[in-house]
This record gives sequence, C-alpha cells and structure tokens, in this order.
Amino acid sequence: MSRFIFVLLFFTLHTQSLEDDRIIARQGQVSFFSYTSVENIKAENNQVLSIVDLDNGTIAVSMLMNSFVFEKALMKEHFNESYIESDVYPKATFEGKIVDFDRSTNAIQTKMIKGTFTMHGVSKELEIKTKIERSQNKYIFSGTFEALVKHYNIKIPPLLAGNIADTISVNFRFEYEPYEK
Amino acid sequence: MSNFILFAQSDLLDILEKEHKDTVNFTSATFKMTRIAIGHSTETRKKGILEVFVANRFWNTGADRSQSFFADRMSARIALEYGLSDRLSTGFGGTTFDGLFDGYFKYKLVRQTTDKKGGPFNMTILQSASYNSNSFGSIYGEREISSNNRLSFTSQLLISRKFSSNFSLQIAPTFVHRGVVLSNEDPKNHFAVGFGARYKLRNHLSLVSEYYYNTNKIKSFDNYNPFVLGVNWEQGDVMLQFMLTNAVNFVEDAFITGTRNNFNFRSPNLNFGFNATYVIHFKRGLKNKRK
Repeated sequence: MSRFIFVLLFFTLHTQSLEDDRIIARQGQVSFFSYTSVENIKAENNQVLSIVDLDNGTIAVSMLMNSFVFEKALMKEHFNESYIESDVYPKATFEGKIVDFDRSTNAIQTKMIKGTFTMHGVSKELEIKTKIERSQNKYIFSGTFEALVKHYNIKIPPLLAGNIADTISVNFRFEYEPYEK
Repeated sequence: MSNFILFAQSDLLDILEKEHKDTVNFTSATFKMTRIAIGHSTETRKKGILEVFVANRFWNTGADRSQSFFADRMSARIALEYGLSDRLSTGFGGTTFDGLFDGYFKYKLVRQTTDKKGGPFNMTILQSASYNSNSFGSIYGEREISSNNRLSFTSQLLISRKFSSNFSLQIAPTFVHRGVVLSNEDPKNHFAVGFGARYKLRNHLSLVSEYYYNTNKIKSFDNYNPFVLGVNWEQGDVMLQFMLTNAVNFVEDAFITGTRNNFNFRSPNLNFGFNATYVIHFKRGLKNKRK
C-alpha cells in the first residue's frame, strides 16, 4: 500500500513539476584558490553542471574533476593523479535545498543553500550563502565558500605542506536557463 | 515528505549524469614521466613545458682494489626536452661516458579514455637518432668511421594501457639501426620488444620495471638484455627516479643492443641510476588574470 502511495506521489510530482520549473546551467564556473607564502595555486572549471527545481527549491551540482584547468599543466596531472584521485572519484557533487526560496520576486536575494557536498569520496554538510539574481527567465547564482583540505581525506606530502593551503576558497557562478531535454 | 524531497533530488543528479555523458575523459598519467625508467613511456609533455632532465648512473669496475669512495665510474646524460604541442615532444641531450649525442621526436597518436568513447590504450611513436662522438682509431686499428656511419637510429611504437588507477603496462616494438659496427659479423639492424610496467604504491610514489628483449644480438662481444627495477617519486615541479639496472647507456640504440652486463649483484654488473627532472612551464593555463 505504501508503495502504491509512493508511486502516486511520483506521478503527481512528475505532472506538477513541468519542464518550465527546472532551470539548468551547463557552463557553470567553479574556481578554487590556495594562497600560501610559497605558492599561489588557482584552478578553474567552466563546464560545471547544475540544475534547480524552482518548484521546491532543490538544487544539484555536478562537476568533473578532470575539467579543472590550472596555471601549470603538470599541476593538473598531480591534482588528478596524486591528490583528488579522479580515476576513482571522477566527480564532485552537491545536492541541497535553497532555504526560504522566493520564486515570485525579481529582486536580488541572498539565501542560504543547505546540502551535502561530496568530493574524493567524502560527504560533508555545507551551508553556502548564495546571491540569486533574476532577469526574466534567467537566473544567476553566485557565491564563495571555504573548504578544509583535511576534511576530504586529501593527503599532502610533508615536503609540499608549505605549498598548499589548509583552507581552499571556492568561488562559483552559475547562469541558468530553462531546462529542455 | 522527506522521502519525497530525496527522490526529487537524486532525480536532479540523474539529469546531470545524463548531461555529463557527452564529455570525453582522457586517462591522465599512465606513466606520469616521459621515461618509465630507462626507456621512453607513452607520455608526452604538454605544450610549453621545458624539462631539464639529468640522468646519472654509478657503478663499480669490479677491480680488486679501488680508490673510489662511492662508485668507480659514473655517467650522466644532460638533456633539454620540450613539448611543442600537447602531443608532440622533442628532446636533445649528451652523455658523458659513451660520448653519444642524441635527439628525438615523440608523437602521441592515440589517447586512452576512461569511458568507451575513445581509444582503449595510448599509442605514441618515437624516432630518435644518436651521434657517436668517440674516437675509435687507437683501439680498433685502421678502422675509420665516417661521420655518416656514426649515426644510429631507433624507431619505437609505444603502446600502453592504464588498467587501474594503480597499474599501467607498456609494450614497445622497437627497431634499431646501428651506424657504428665494430665487426663485420655484427648485424646493423635489430628488432627488440620492450616491456614496461608501473605500479603506484602511494599517491606520489610508484614502482617501475622495464625489460627489453633483443631478437638478434651483436656477436662480437657478450651482451645481455637490459632490465631495470626502480622507484619514481614526484614532488611538484621535481620528479625523481631511482633505479637498479644492468644498462650503462642512456640512449635507446646503445642500451638495447649493447648492454655488456647481465642483471645480478656482482660488480660491475649492477648500476645504480638516478634521474632528476625539473619542469619549467612556459605556457600558463589560465588566460584571464582576473581574481
């Protein structure tokens, strides 16, 4: 019986959330920075995917670790092979919910997004302050948050400990448009 | 209600999963360094990368008495190697002990992909040439070796596959043409097959081994197939390789055909090798300098 209700819910969900209710960003930008006195490391990924269901304010983000571009080509190889192990953990994902999302307003709103960020096989609960701008049917989400390297089980060899910061600051910017298959 | 939300969320990730399907993922760092230990790997350097490559070998002569502190003899190959494009690399170097000056071009034909969209393996072609600057007159009597005959060539087809994140294997069919031939009974052309493997012990440390099987050997002196066992260690812009081998020479044509010792622990058979690569980036990956 409960399964039947679940199936019913599933169908009502699908009939209610029209295609228009979902917005997608296919070229989202995520960049991260590590500042130390020895070396500044910066990387950008301009192919981050994100989708938002405006109906209930849920959001999902998925990025390929391989798509990060570094200042130095060898850094990218080290990053993928020795730190983030993208063979084993190719993606970082986030799924969460925008707290008190107001879909009616056209004004700029700053909201918290609560959810789970998974990277290098480790999931962490995050609360990210996000600026949400809207122009007609386009949305822009942007913000900054910080991540601790040691939380994600990323090992830095003692010789290079001075080159990589303990706290990595992450910037993101997503431009959404209506989702069509 | 919480079930309901969870369902909707994983639904969103599923949509993103489908969107990801269009991107091709190339396998990175099958071997990481351009050499497995003594021989070339399928790796080429990315565009604008200059490598300062210094390879050293140390060994004892096997004489009863020796005045040397650490090793009786040493040899070094000092080279500059450069990535002309992401697939094409070149390098030039000189070796102190055997007096060979060498250069090579290396082109990556096929790149392995992590999904089924591209090649199941890496394939790289290598063409190298070496010039033997030794004077042969005093030892070999009247034999005059013209400068044309001092050139040797090696052509290799390097095929490798990264089987898991820890294990890579390489097979290298090789053709060697030797210019300097000291006896008329010796063949000038050799076919050899190289086998190489890398096993990642830790994130920055890997175990490597290589073996070259030479099908037609030089007859005028005893020679053996080169074998090497080593450790590769990567630290940012510096990459170090430590190895034990029976090969004294650094250039392909010399060590594949002319390794005079077998691999065992009697001196002068065993060489300790140490390669250091320093990587300089001339091309910056991020174009826009905005914060």
